[in-house]
Amino acid sequence: MKVKTRHRKGEPVKGVTRRSFVKTSLKVGAGLAAYPMLAKNFRFFRGTAHAVVPDDTVVFLSAENITGNWDPSSHTTLAQINIEGFVFNYLIRCPMRPENPEEIVYELATSQKIVDPNIIEYTLQKGVRFHDGKEFGADDVKATFEYASDVNKAAGAWYPGGCEVEIVDKHTCRVHTKKWGYPATQFWFRTAFLPIMSANDIKDPRVLAQRLNGTGAFRFVKQDKDDTVMAANEDYFRGAPKIKHLHFVYVPDSTTRLISLQSGESDVIERLETEQVDVVEKDKNLKLNSAISVENKYLWFRCSKEPFKDWRVRRAAAHAIDRSAIWQILGKSGHPSYTHISPVKFGYTKVPGYPEYDPVACKRFLSEAGFPGGKGLPQLEYITSVGFYPKTKEYGEVITAMLQEAGFPVKLSVMETAAWNQKLYDRPGGGPGHMIDCGWCTASPEPDFILRMHFHSSSKRICGVVDAEIDASLDIERNATSIKERRVILQQETLPLLAERVPSLSLFTSVFIHAIDKNLNNYYLYPNGMMDLEKATKA
Amino acid sequence: MGFILYFITRRVLQGFFIVFIVTFFIFMIMRIVPGDPVRLMVGGAAPDIVLEKVARQLGLKDPLLVQFGRYLRDILHGHFGHSFIRPKSGGSVGGEAWDDPRMHPRAEVLDLIIERIPLTLMLAGMAMTWALVLSIPLGIVAGIKEGSWIDKVATFFCATSISVPNFWLGIVLMLFVSLKLGLLPAIGYRGFSYVILPSFVISLELAPILLRTVRASMIDVLQMNFVKVARARGLSRATILFKHCIRNSLVPVLNVLGVQIGILLGGVIVVEFVFDYPGLGLLTIFAVLQRDFPLIQGIVILFSSVFVFINIVVDLLCSYVDPRLEF
Repeated sequence: MKVKTRHRKGEPVKGVTRRSFVKTSLKVGAGLAAYPMLAKNFRFFRGTAHAVVPDDTVVFLSAENITGNWDPSSHTTLAQINIEGFVFNYLIRCPMRPENPEEIVYELATSQKIVDPNIIEYTLQKGVRFHDGKEFGADDVKATFEYASDVNKAAGAWYPGGCEVEIVDKHTCRVHTKKWGYPATQFWFRTAFLPIMSANDIKDPRVLAQRLNGTGAFRFVKQDKDDTVMAANEDYFRGAPKIKHLHFVYVPDSTTRLISLQSGESDVIERLETEQVDVVEKDKNLKLNSAISVENKYLWFRCSKEPFKDWRVRRAAAHAIDRSAIWQILGKSGHPSYTHISPVKFGYTKVPGYPEYDPVACKRFLSEAGFPGGKGLPQLEYITSVGFYPKTKEYGEVITAMLQEAGFPVKLSVMETAAWNQKLYDRPGGGPGHMIDCGWCTASPEPDFILRMHFHSSSKRICGVVDAEIDASLDIERNATSIKERRVILQQETLPLLAERVPSLSLFTSVFIHAIDKNLNNYYLYPNGMMDLEKATKA
Repeated sequence: MGFILYFITRRVLQGFFIVFIVTFFIFMIMRIVPGDPVRLMVGGAAPDIVLEKVARQLGLKDPLLVQFGRYLRDILHGHFGHSFIRPKSGGSVGGEAWDDPRMHPRAEVLDLIIERIPLTLMLAGMAMTWALVLSIPLGIVAGIKEGSWIDKVATFFCATSISVPNFWLGIVLMLFVSLKLGLLPAIGYRGFSYVILPSFVISLELAPILLRTVRASMIDVLQMNFVKVARARGLSRATILFKHCIRNSLVPVLNVLGVQIGILLGGVIVVEFVFDYPGLGLLTIFAVLQRDFPLIQGIVILFSSVFVFINIVVDLLCSYVDPRLEF
């Protein structure tokens, strides 16, 4: 930059000068910038000073985003499943309370009955209509079951195979499973996870993908960026809800969610962190909903590669970990676990001999596997994430230290969620690393959503285990022809076998903690995070 | 007129070169860092063969220079590509089945950016206004009354506000102003009142540097000969200050303002996330977390272009304030 005299005072300046150019540019620029703001978005200058949610509206802040494809069978995303819970009805719902995980509440069905080992019969509600006006009937159940259980779909993994539905009359139907080789009892709890779609929509799956059309208490209005807007279904068969407007909004930051709730800009927030629980407890305008969830958090061993191919090494690792230290770190966010399924799942039992901290047993199993004191073990990688589950890094460091103390040469890799998600699943030759941390959460008491999906060699999503004895046990429990028989097999054979072979170690059961505006009442929060606002009121 | 054309042409060409370099680096960095966007798109459980197929469809298996050349060609045609993740609704989505033919068409990067620009411009403009309102009067007074209690207050303010992280300050102000006092809304955007708090937080990052520049500049100007001569000429203190000193002390401030744009853009990203303010900053955070390459590239190109443009404007303004300057 240099300084130079451009003109003398009093000397006339001709043409465009820098000063006149800048002056004119500033005026034009200001005009151009102001016009669109004023003309097209007058709302810039409006807005309430303090936007408290009205009494007929509920704003739910979600920690997870949605897929953008509204077909319920196209995804396994929890946030979207929660939205579906408002818009759709199910044949049955399962409140999944720990004191009675097998409880069934009828919704679109009025009864379900096993009429044959491969046939389950449903009788259906009368006088129910979809939001688009179509009358609900057995044709919708047929279309939904046959469409959703297609194993080639993303959500098809939730089903043991296809099925065929026989329409007995307009409000009665029978689901047949014989052709696919599994018993009809498999649908006893699974239907609590299957939103009933309109047969008309299923005829054109493009329509299914574009919008939600159910029979539920709320109808889908629109997707406004991260805000799923819903409104009360005034023709709802169990009576119009008192809450007239519902917003389900994705807000990724937990602090932001809490402040929004405290300032009255939202009514429900999910996935509270331990420290936030104390804040909510002290706030007289808020209340907590704390419930043992369907989600267990696991330490998954990569069973398809060395050294965890040998179940004795896995047992040794399991005995090296003092899980009570993890429970202390988690505080109110975790519940002790004594088996591979949550206490709100069908068949839950405290399995005697579930691997506990036992340095002597650890040494014994390591020696039996040919690694006395850990000698000869390769360098092991333990992968965990930050940003989604609570305290993963903190307890990951504790587990690493415990394993190292027992002789396992472990290195902890902490990754942000996207990178961790990329490494989560099993691949040919074994998934990345040797151990990985992950939870599994499904909206039904059905235990096979976890057990068969993860520990049967036909699926083995994360751990990659191939064990003929585990396969056989899972087949036996799946093929049980009565609920009672299945419960006995699960509790006395399958779960103890999994505890012995530990393809994964269940670290704890997650406790889902929601913070809620104290004025919101008469709701129910399911242990998978779904919310029932049918009878909810705000006062 | 000839000078202006020459100046603008020269600076615009320099600007293009800078934006080109930035584009090149961001393009390469995004492809080197860990995290595969295709894995995010197809889902964790999709087999590697699918990953390979989708990566080829997107051209991500071509040599990096070929990909970059193709990207540049598209930009020159006004096409910044499609978001890997976001559908046309603009929402943040993930986990959609990779092979579903009904998969929503992905949004144009330019559309996503244009949609959010007004909100971020308003936030940045308001932050700059706050910063100027706080720093210029206080800086001038601190400069005039060097060593006085006002000067000490100004120095304390600078030291404090520059040391406080903006995300922490944002949360504290939300707790106090929104929760305790109930004066302003805390998160999101539903009207102008939602801009006040986040813009104030950003401004506290900008104001200290501006304030110190104004103060130092004022002290320098007050010691110049023309000020002493003005007194000898019998000009009033107010005339000397307002007609001569302030104007002369503004040139360094304008130069600092140009540099401050970088801090402003950085502040916008963090503060928008904390306040869940739906502008470009929030879009950037999601784009990075979701490895949305085209969107990150588009935003970075926009930010660097804004930076270059603002600096050209600042140079022009400097020459307006001080006609002796030539660049």
